[in-house]
Amino acid sequence: MPPDRPPIKARLASCLLSPGESVVAALGLGGAILMMTAIAASGWWTLHTNQESRRDARQLELRTVAELLAENARSALGSGELSNLRTLITAVAARHEIEHLSLALGDPAASQPDRLVIADANPKPGTRYAPLPDAWPSGLDPEQLTVLTRAGDTVQLDAPVPVPGKGVAALSLRDSRAFPLLGQWEVVAGIGAIGVAGMAALLAGYRAARSRFRALGAIRDALAALAAGEKEHAALSVCPDFGKEAREWNRLLEEVSTLRSRLAIDRAAGGSSAGTNRRQGGDLNSLCDGLWQGLVLVDDQLQIRYANGAAAVFLRAKRDDVQGKHLPSLVTDPATLEAVRAVATGQTRSRTVVESEVGDPENGRTVLRFSVRPVRKDDSATAILVIEDVTQQRLADEARQAFVATATHELRTPLTNVRLYVDTLLEDPQQDPRARADAMNVISTEVRRLERMVGDMLSVAQIEAGQIKLHRGEISLQPIFDELGHDFAKQAADKDITLKFDLPPKWPQVDGDRDKVVMALHNLVGNAVKYTPAGGQVLVRVSADAQTLTIDVADNGIGIKPDEQPMVFEKFYRAKDRRIAGVAGTGLGLSIAREVVRLHGGDITVQSEIDKGSTFTMTLPAKAA
Amino acid sequence: MDILEQRQGAVTVIKPSGPLVGTDADEFQQRLAGVIDRSLGRFVIDAAELAYVDSRGLEVLKAASDVLAQSGQAVRLASANETVREVLDLTDLARCFEHYQDVSAAVRSFL
Repeated sequence: MPPDRPPIKARLASCLLSPGESVVAALGLGGAILMMTAIAASGWWTLHTNQESRRDARQLELRTVAELLAENARSALGSGELSNLRTLITAVAARHEIEHLSLALGDPAASQPDRLVIADANPKPGTRYAPLPDAWPSGLDPEQLTVLTRAGDTVQLDAPVPVPGKGVAALSLRDSRAFPLLGQWEVVAGIGAIGVAGMAALLAGYRAARSRFRALGAIRDALAALAAGEKEHAALSVCPDFGKEAREWNRLLEEVSTLRSRLAIDRAAGGSSAGTNRRQGGDLNSLCDGLWQGLVLVDDQLQIRYANGAAAVFLRAKRDDVQGKHLPSLVTDPATLEAVRAVATGQTRSRTVVESEVGDPENGRTVLRFSVRPVRKDDSATAILVIEDVTQQRLADEARQAFVATATHELRTPLTNVRLYVDTLLEDPQQDPRARADAMNVISTEVRRLERMVGDMLSVAQIEAGQIKLHRGEISLQPIFDELGHDFAKQAADKDITLKFDLPPKWPQVDGDRDKVVMALHNLVGNAVKYTPAGGQVLVRVSADAQTLTIDVADNGIGIKPDEQPMVFEKFYRAKDRRIAGVAGTGLGLSIAREVVRLHGGDITVQSEIDKGSTFTMTLPAKAA
Repeated sequence: MDILEQRQGAVTVIKPSGPLVGTDADEFQQRLAGVIDRSLGRFVIDAAELAYVDSRGLEVLKAASDVLAQSGQAVRLASANETVREVLDLTDLARCFEHYQDVSAAVRSFL
């Protein structure tokens, strides 16, 4: 099988064009050849026309000579004086370089012997002219003026010379002067000069056009490659030696490449250059939008160059509008702005953290933490802000601080009592046994109080850490409520509070952690006794159906304000009622109780009316019979 | 449909009661949009009383999820019952939400 050969067109192009040149350059070459052909044709036509003009001029000259001589001949033949005529003919022939010039009588077409030559410019040696007859036969038509015949370069001219009363003589003139095409050197030189100048101009034009067309051809090839998907800068650029167009093309490529790079960077950074929809952004943009921290990039004029989705939320601006905005229009906190300005203008290179509190009483406070730092160490014109919502952490910190203060106070009171009574016992070993028993009772009570508080704190810590575990088992409910009555009987009696239990005749089966259920019930009943004024009543009512055990702990105490009712289950929260200011408590009991009950699949809710009392309802799922 | 809003610390807990269907879903969507705007995303949907969810309710939840996803957050669902969880699983929407056993755990997740 013969090897594949390129098509004829391609082979022709490869013959005509040097490597790297295009068909456009070949067209230029074709144009140059056409122009040269046109100049050559014009030169030939000019020379030819010049040749014909010279012939015509010669013929006119000969005709004029013939006519003048014919007029002289007629006078001379009329008078019979021929010597002057013969001299004139000889002189004219020499003067005008006429090959043959003669005057004869008779028909010029007749044979030579029949004609009587009167005068000849070039007589044969020894020629003697015959005398002029009185009359002679006519040859030419006297009315026919000059007869001119032409054969190649030879011109034959016969002019009739009518002599009244004698006949018609014939003046014959023959000229064989050649008029070569290039016979006139001035014309040839002129045409040659024009041709050479044209050639030079064409060559220069061709070279310039070839160079330009070569650049255009290369650019065309690059565009074709671009359309085919080529994106490499090196593959698309053309040789800068091809001319200005080539250099401009390369510059354009450089600009496109730079813009493409910037666009890629902008997209990667989540920007929306030239109104580009941000959702067309790259992976980095999506990544930044996936962060819950706000990211903002600002320049030294505090103009926002980029902001992710979280930043738009924190700055309370629309995601698509935030870019390009002036940061002070979105952030009003002076300390934050000053920190950003210091970093963005290069005044400081270190990371600066500012917390700013925003919000209003209706929507609650919001604490935003702004971490400001330069984007790069050597870049003093930009700063990056990382915005975090630390509201919940702040509130938690404040609650812990409040708890520490409360717990310190709550722990100190029983500890002080314990220390005082222990000191008393140590100082007086011989003390009255009754007094010693009272002291030991107080110490025991305070230690149990301490134990309960520490237990609460541990429970909170376990709940916070998600580590609290239930030791499940079947719970006997009746004994629990018996213990409750026994445990709170003295406390209720001390406050003159009626503590009643309304218990069902039949108890459902409940599975759970007995100690923790007891702890929850202790908290509910203990709170009811604690926050019910003297003379009040606390009713513990237990009801059950097939699915649920419901325990209502109702009191007719001070009640809870409606807006505080959901809060009482929050850790460390204590109602703001001044009437309970003197009542000890950590604000942990209800929180722990509800968490524990919820771990059992139940819940604790509250219904309360200020000054009329509260009812805490605890539900636990019953075990199917 | 009863929709209860309360704050736990800096977190808003929105608790719809009853089925999230039809026009109730529209009402819940409006309330939810306000909560999202005010809370900067610090909110929890307490689904303890959410009986079941129809397609409109799913749209509302998914729309809220999409809004929060734009700022790197997710809707926190607490105490969703078996029916609601199953619907979310079947529709492959469960992955759009963060699920918590109870509201306290969901609120703690903001720490």
